[in-house]
Amino acid sequence: MTDARIRLRITRRAVLSAAGLAGIAAAAPRLAFAEEEETSLLTGLFGMLPAPSDRVRLDMPPKFSSGYTVPLDLTITGPMTDAAYARAVHVLAPRNPLFRVAIFHFTPANGEARVSTRIRLAQPQHVIAVAEMSDGPLLMARAWVEVESDGCA
Amino acid sequence: MPEPRVISPKTAAKGEIFQIRSLITHQMETGLRRDEAGAVIPRKIINEFVCRYNGETVFRVELHEAMAANPYLEFYVRADESGTLEFTWAEDGGAVFSTSRDLTDT
Repeated sequence: MTDARIRLRITRRAVLSAAGLAGIAAAAPRLAFAEEEETSLLTGLFGMLPAPSDRVRLDMPPKFSSGYTVPLDLTITGPMTDAAYARAVHVLAPRNPLFRVAIFHFTPANGEARVSTRIRLAQPQHVIAVAEMSDGPLLMARAWVEVESDGCA
Repeated sequence: MPEPRVISPKTAAKGEIFQIRSLITHQMETGLRRDEAGAVIPRKIINEFVCRYNGETVFRVELHEAMAANPYLEFYVRADESGTLEFTWAEDGGAVFSTSRDLTDT
């Protein structure tokens, strides 16, 4: 087993154990495991499951040849007012050896909660964006990206 | 030597939301690679980017290992007043790189 795979297991197991689901996750069938894995990761990080929302627009290419520099466009739609704005948006790549990508901290002075950047992906996966709104809600979206090379290698 | 590059307009109408494009040349060593001898190459990345507008933080990013090399960030700022936009990048180990651009409200 390569180092990257060992590191992946340690990272995920730490989160799964924290969520108390390691035993259940280990026994689950392969397809269901991917969903449970994402659920465990999110509840482990945020204490609850964010709600999928059309307001979180995570635009990424469905297929991309280089895992080293995959374009990512993120917009949280809706007005940015002092009362309600996207205060922090977390981007996660659960199938990377290290799943954290970035956290974007917006303020009303941005005018728009919108950013474009480029990320590394190790293998095909759902990239996840979780928006913490200043007035409370946790919203999320995911984008499937089929990368054709390992950008973490 | 990491080199910051920023494209930002010199003028903007008051209240206009304008685009800023920023990049810093940087390997963004993830800590996952090994050298020819088999030793792990330690992590060394830009871990934070901050944009301040007349001293106030308007946009901040925590960067982790899954950000690509030569981190590129394109974002937006509302032109409230004339002044200076300052951009800083913090590297693992404490080095800070920065540049600034003036903005005139029209």
